[in-house]
Amino acid sequence: MMDAGRHPRIKVLVSSEVIDVSGAVGNFHVKVRRRARYVQQDLCNSCAECTKVCPVIIPDEYQMGLASRKAIYIPFPQAVPSAYLINPEDCLGNNPIACGKCLEVCEQKCIDFDMRDEILEVDVGAMIVATGMEAYDPTEITEYGYSRYDNVITSMEFERLICAGGPSAGHFVRPSDGERPRRIGFIQCVGSRSSRYGSPYCSNICCMNTVKDTLLLADHYPDTDAKVFYMDIRAFGKGFEDLYLRSRSSGVRYIRGIPGEIEEDPQTKNLRVRVENTLAGELEQHELDMVVLSVGVRPRLDSNTVQRLLTLSRTSDGFFLEAHPKLKPVDAPTRGIFLAGCCESPKDVKDSVTQAGAAASHVQVLLSAGRIRIDAGTPLLEEADCIRCGRCAAVCPFHAIHWQRGGVPEIIEAACSGCGCCAAECPVDALTMRHSTDEQLKAQIDAILDEHPEDKLLTFACNWCSYAGGDTAGTARLQFPVHGRLVRTMCSARVSEDLILYAFEKGAPLVLVSGCHFADCHYINANRQTVTRVERAWDRLEKLGIRPERLHLEWISAAEGQKFAEVMRVLDEPRAQVTAEEIAHTRKVLAEERKRREGRKEKMRAAARKKREAAADARAESSAGAAASVAGPAKS
Amino acid sequence: MEEERRFRCLRCGLEFTAVHRKDGEPVERVCPRCRSNSIRPTKEAKG
Repeated sequence: MMDAGRHPRIKVLVSSEVIDVSGAVGNFHVKVRRRARYVQQDLCNSCAECTKVCPVIIPDEYQMGLASRKAIYIPFPQAVPSAYLINPEDCLGNNPIACGKCLEVCEQKCIDFDMRDEILEVDVGAMIVATGMEAYDPTEITEYGYSRYDNVITSMEFERLICAGGPSAGHFVRPSDGERPRRIGFIQCVGSRSSRYGSPYCSNICCMNTVKDTLLLADHYPDTDAKVFYMDIRAFGKGFEDLYLRSRSSGVRYIRGIPGEIEEDPQTKNLRVRVENTLAGELEQHELDMVVLSVGVRPRLDSNTVQRLLTLSRTSDGFFLEAHPKLKPVDAPTRGIFLAGCCESPKDVKDSVTQAGAAASHVQVLLSAGRIRIDAGTPLLEEADCIRCGRCAAVCPFHAIHWQRGGVPEIIEAACSGCGCCAAECPVDALTMRHSTDEQLKAQIDAILDEHPEDKLLTFACNWCSYAGGDTAGTARLQFPVHGRLVRTMCSARVSEDLILYAFEKGAPLVLVSGCHFADCHYINANRQTVTRVERAWDRLEKLGIRPERLHLEWISAAEGQKFAEVMRVLDEPRAQVTAEEIAHTRKVLAEERKRREGRKEKMRAAARKKREAAADARAESSAGAAASVAGPAKS
Repeated sequence: MEEERRFRCLRCGLEFTAVHRKDGEPVERVCPRCRSNSIRPTKEAKG
């Protein structure tokens, strides 16, 4: 951090937050609010005279509330820049100045109560998101009595207590009486791998953190009796198994079983832990001086804001989603944005550093090239047909279409990833997806349904998940009926209502639209639009007297070959039940409906065109009038 | 804002009630009987 702070080409903006991001890869425009720190950081020499006289004493967040700080403070010892700041929420008041003692003692005269928040605007080519994580707060697990019992602490508090720079200067003491604890228990998976409390996922780092903590204790205080209560120890990774074995051989007792309850002796403040030792098959009770809850990792609470600002995608766990788990593990789905550290998934320091290095390298590759290659499958707008409704811009998951009311949508090709959601949404077919045009998709449908359409299960499959799920089913040689025929689209959101109706019109007995699971969508959240469109198609079919049960929707991931095969098996029965008469009736109804639909589209285009022409005439008239009034009456 | 809504599975025909969040992150709808994702919101009967 010090190196970054001193680097001539790195600008560290502390106490700052991103408030707006616009533009696209290579050309982002970012607005940053830099909070007033009320101390001129260039002048402050960290003499600490101000903090000595400050009368406000509040819990120190960095020391997990185990120590106190003043209203004027340095957030933590290695903070960059090494300058004090005033938290206006803690200070007795600076408008008018209620105390001002810091102002009086500051020899550098660097305290400035008139300082205001600044809005900075910066242009950047790429961004790395490294917003980190939050530790789980175990207060809700009432059985463990955290925040009720003094000597039940979290692993984060343990770190502060045993740190030389911590509140007790590295002397490991109990919060209740300041005595050194000799019997310590660690409870694993607090807020992790639980359907009741916290999160269902494994937080990845807690096992090895506890192993490290037990080794620290064994090193600092060899007479400590440490016990670890666990479900299973996950010590994968280079050298981790050795560390775990070292911890065991140093005398730490590992007990397989998660305690159900902790009780406190009100006199001694000692803790009684009851646990079922599942290896020994016995119910045990342990008397301990201190219990450390090994808390899990959670996404930051402000992840929603970051997601909205940067057009990111999140997994069901709430962490930011990478563009591809194997091929693009540090890229966000939005081009030019990269992920590093625990914002992407829980990981330890080594993995975070590795990912950060990879992200920085990706940025270098992107920026040093000086030019970017855009996807070939971007939309093309036929301006004359566009009715300026802005629906394309509203559904674009990448915000790659800029539109102002009444104006022509502007497609930012560098920001577009080619999902085709916009083209499917356009009510007048003014947008054409290059290499995935309606004509090309219809030609595929025609070819599939050219012969014996009644035998075909026409399936729209998204490129990244469902189509790959079909591949998985095939390569695993899973058995399923041969009637499925796949039309590959980049995203299920490319499948418009018109394409679905076209397939039925061409004689498809059953149509399946399939895409990625919500958390896996390659195009952030485009497949939510698929749901909307399929629901609209169900309504339309019903209105036209066609059974909506003939249109199906399934989410199939690339790994779900089994599900793909099962869906093909299950849907074969309703496909076979569709009679030739029903298909013939559908074709007739939809052929008429298509004519009506085309007529409606043409009317919409014509109406929009007329409106534009009228507006242009009005503008011309008013400019002619203005020119005449400027010129004044002609001289005779 | 949460509200209970009726849904119908277009694969097995099961009608069921599920919580629908208007303002929250959309969730995948799954039929509790056949696990299909072809879940259609049913239209409320006009009173």
